[in-house]
This record gives sequence, C-alpha cells and structure tokens, in this order.
Amino acid sequence: MNGKNMHWAHRLAALGLLVGLTAGFAVVGAAQSVAGQAYSTYVNTPLGSSGQSPLAVLPAVSGTDGAEADAAGDALSVAGVLSSDFLNSITSGEIGTGETGAQSTASAASVNILNGLITADEVVANVMSSAAQDGASSNADGSTFTNLVVAGTPVTSGDGPVGPNTNISLPGVGYVVLNEQIPSGDGVATSGLTVNMIHVYLQSLVGGVVDPLTGRTVGGTLQTTGEVIVGSASSTVTR
Amino acid sequence: MRTYLMLRFVPSLAAAALLATACQDSRPLTSVARKPSFWAGPPPNCPAGKWTGGGRIDPPSNYDAVDEPSGGQPPRYSDGLPPMNGKVTFGFNVFLATDGDGRCVVEKGEIQVNHHPAKTSWHVSIHHGVDDFDNAPVFAAVFPDNSGRGFCVVVGLPESFMTARVNGNRGFEKVQFEACDNDRGERQNSRTDAMRWRAAGSASGDAGDTGLTYLTGGNIVEHGS
Repeated sequence: MNGKNMHWAHRLAALGLLVGLTAGFAVVGAAQSVAGQAYSTYVNTPLGSSGQSPLAVLPAVSGTDGAEADAAGDALSVAGVLSSDFLNSITSGEIGTGETGAQSTASAASVNILNGLITADEVVANVMSSAAQDGASSNADGSTFTNLVVAGTPVTSGDGPVGPNTNISLPGVGYVVLNEQIPSGDGVATSGLTVNMIHVYLQSLVGGVVDPLTGRTVGGTLQTTGEVIVGSASSTVTR
Repeated sequence: MRTYLMLRFVPSLAAAALLATACQDSRPLTSVARKPSFWAGPPPNCPAGKWTGGGRIDPPSNYDAVDEPSGGQPPRYSDGLPPMNGKVTFGFNVFLATDGDGRCVVEKGEIQVNHHPAKTSWHVSIHHGVDDFDNAPVFAAVFPDNSGRGFCVVVGLPESFMTARVNGNRGFEKVQFEACDNDRGERQNSRTDAMRWRAAGSASGDAGDTGLTYLTGGNIVEHGS
C-alpha cells in the first residue's frame, strides 16, 4: 500500500469511526427509557382474589421528560385472606442528559393476612433505579416493616428493615418471603429492581396417597395454589 | 406562627417573603462563587426547569440543617408550624416556566405526599400554569444550596403557596414543597438528596413542617438542563 492509499485508508477509517460512533450514540440515546410501577396489595387465592391495587404505572417518558403517577385507597378487604388500610402507590421517572432514573413507593397500613397469621402496623416498599455515565444501579433503601409479626413471632419491633429474600415457613399453609427482591439489568447500561415486601405462597400437596397405618399422605408434590403480595414497587432504567 | 397563619388564613401577607425568595431566584446563578461539586452542564434555572423524584424521608432523622435556609427558606418550625415527624413518602414531577411578568411558575406538575403516622395524603395537580384546586398560579424558585452540592426547587412560594387536595375528598389546604438534587448529573448512590413539606392543616388536621430532610431512600433529579 503506497502513501496515497494509506492516506485515503486513514481518512476512510476515521470516517467509518465517526459514523460508527455517531450511530452508536444515536442508538444509546434512542434506547434511554424508564419504567416503574407500584401497588399495595394483590390477592390470588382459592378463598378470594383482588387485582393489583391501588396500581400506579409510570406513563411513557421520552426526551428529557419526566412523569409521576399515583393511586390510593382507603381500605381493602378480602374475607379471610387480607385486610389493610391507608393504601398508597407512587411512581415517578425521568430522562436527563446526566442522569436517568425511576423510583417507586408502595405502602399499606394495618395489615392482616390469613386471619392474623401475618400482621404489621405498616409496610413500605421503596425502590429506585438510576443510570449515568458511570453505570446503572438500583436499591431498596427505605423499605421497612412496622411491628411485623409472622405466625406469632415478632420480626421487627418498631419500624425496621428485614434482610432481602427472608424465607419463613408457614406450616400447613406454605411459606412467606419477606423483602423479596428481584433484580434485573447488567449494572452498566440497565438496572431494575422489584421488591415485594410480603409475598405469601400458599401451597397444597397434590397427588400422593394416604398411608392407612399413619394417616399421613405419602408422596405427592407441593404446588403453589395461591399468593398474597403486600407492598410491591418496581423501577427500571436503560441508558 | 406567622407562616402558619398565612398558610391557613392570609397568604397574601407573605409578599415580603416572596420578594426575598424571588430576588434569590433572579440572582444570576452563574455568578455563584461556590460551584457545586456535582456539576453537570449549566446550572438549572427556572425556564425549562424539569424536576422529578420520589422516595421517603423520616424526620426528624437525617436533618439537612446546612441547606435548609438556602434560598431564603425559613428554618423549620420558625414560622409556627409544628414538627411533622415520622414516615413521609412522596413522588413528584414539575415543569417550570416564566409568566408574563418574568416570574417563575409551575407550568405543569403533580405532587403526592403521604404522612404515614397521621394517615394523611396530599395531592397537588397543576396544569397550564394554574393549580387545579384553586385556579391560581403556583410560583416557584430555583437556587443553589448552601452546602454547594447541588440545587433546590421550592414549589408554592408564600404569595399564594399552593392548594392540595387532602385524602382524596376530605378538603383542601395550603402547602409548600421543596426538593434538592445534591448529586446532580451523577448516578444516585447516596442519600444526599433532600425534601421538605409544609402543610397548613386546615383540612387535614395535620399541620406541620418536616424540615429539609435527607432521603431515607429514593431519588430527586433535576433533568431540564
């Protein structure tokens, strides 16, 4: 390759790099997005059901825009399954030149699940996701339980957090996951987090046979037959 | 007691306080000697200002005493409003503009604040430059905070504050909201942002002032620049 060809080769390479970078930035810019939602309660059991309520969903956000959505309810009752009051859900999100973020909060007070099996004076789910040039991250800071009692055992005294994904067995009923955290994203360009503060999984033994000598069921498999969620908040960012 | 009374009965008497804050807002922000360490592009100003955020505060814990008097804001409780303590969750989005007289106003916005110990909820809704619940303009101010870490916005200046709906349909009362973005342009990774809420309590019976308080969780972002 002579000098002239190398000169043009360098120019073409530089042009290609420029086009590539421009296209890359355009793609990155176009890909920026935020999402969020929050709800206080969800019930899906054989005894009764109630959809995600009150549900707040972040409207579409574009450009360097932002939005907020909220919903509230005075009280909710599904007989024998869940009662609660002062239900509030909020979500907001924004796209900025420096930072893009979404944050959601859901709360419920006077929580009573399965006729007192689980009670709490209040539950607050709080999540946020944020992305900037140095990466993307999410956290659930500010998510707490007030005077939570599970199967007669106090879990929190006053207002306090519980470790993520704390699993407690509920014999004859199933189990509950406290501060259930479901992360998403690569931590570089995307990040998201869903927190379900109380997630009860109702389980039943399906199949198996009754041992005539002991009266116990032998074999079979545990299957989830219902669920109750109190305090759910989600946020997601993509940069 | 002055602002408490103003919030409840005579908001127009707060003209002097408005003037002080408005002057603060009109100061060229580029002349601020102490440049915020969290710097991203030009400083925010009123026109085209966009602020969004949400999360939780737990006053009186995490009190942001240094930044509270920024922009001419009164120290907490100094105006007669009692402490508003305990869990407060919130979410908001406000877009700023200037009116025909060059004053900073909220063009559109939504603010939701819940004070959990009292089970009180407030909602402010602003469209086309006026509060949905009293049809009055909502004045705002943007200013750098005293710590030099970022900027704050106050929504509902004392000229008329702003009117919030209480617990869905219980009534309406005067309120004021403040938010500070103290990690501007950077990913939220610390609890440096702050929020303050003041309510007259005439409809809710929950009068109070949270004081400017660092977030327990959440984020506040100025994203208009």
